[in-house]
Amino acid sequence: MAKTILAVDDSGSLRQMVAFSLKAAGYQVIEAVDGQDGLEKARNQVVDLVLTDQNMPRMDGLTLIKSLRGLPSYQRVPILMLTTESSDDMKAKGRAAGANGWLVKPFDPQKLTEVVKKVIG
Amino acid sequence: MPKKKTLGPQVKRLLTGVSDHGSEHLLEVETDLVQTTILLAEAIEKLGGSFLALHTAISSQQEEIDLLISAGVAPSASVDRLKLLQNDIAQHVNSAVTSLQFQDMTSQLISRTVQRSAGLREVLGTLGIVGDGIPHDGGNDEIADLLKEISMRLEAQSIQLKSLLRKAVSQQHLDSGDIELF
Repeated sequence: MAKTILAVDDSGSLRQMVAFSLKAAGYQVIEAVDGQDGLEKARNQVVDLVLTDQNMPRMDGLTLIKSLRGLPSYQRVPILMLTTESSDDMKAKGRAAGANGWLVKPFDPQKLTEVVKKVIG
Repeated sequence: MPKKKTLGPQVKRLLTGVSDHGSEHLLEVETDLVQTTILLAEAIEKLGGSFLALHTAISSQQEEIDLLISAGVAPSASVDRLKLLQNDIAQHVNSAVTSLQFQDMTSQLISRTVQRSAGLREVLGTLGIVGDGIPHDGGNDEIADLLKEISMRLEAQSIQLKSLLRKAVSQQHLDSGDIELF
């Protein structure tokens, strides 16, 4: 059975490219338009990996990670940040919030799928 | 006895002029940027749709080619050439997916510029409001005090605006970004 990835990003074009890349590699993708939507979808279905943007309306990526880590079913689910942010300060905040990795946009689809495979197989 | 000339009216006209003209131009900048955002959003929607349709068509074509190769009807030279072309297509697809992420970054940068422009209009508005308070027959000391007040308010507003507009996009090119696993 294909593993499921929750892709959270307020940019429709970015979500489209993430979904395209991961579906081509055999994963199922659930899309969410911001952190709040991502949290609701994550509560409805426990996924194998969360890939989230940082700067989004309603709820940002760091807040989403902290909220997910507060849920028993998401304490061990890998969470990767995929964001334009690249400062060490933001990466440290992501790590402290519970992120397992940091990918700076734009992403290369081959590299993205390699990382996802490395993390969840 | 000659009437004493005061700078009040000139200073007031200068401040009001800078405020009104500046605000008018910034509003035009914001309108153009919003229009650019709309055009870019439509462009990326169409580009993304066309890209996916093109990829689906090429994948279907590839399946047909694979069937012909399996059936042994294609000459071996053509099979080798088709494999090279397939690799080329995969590289172009990778490159297109990376490039098609431009709108995510440009929209963030444009949004930040629009917010900065709107903030600057507020600053200029302050200039006009305080400028309006300059009395026609005010003395130099009174004008100097008002100008000092304007400077302080402008500086405070400028600092506040800077703190609100953190730069989240530092990319200069569409090369793929770094990956770090913790």
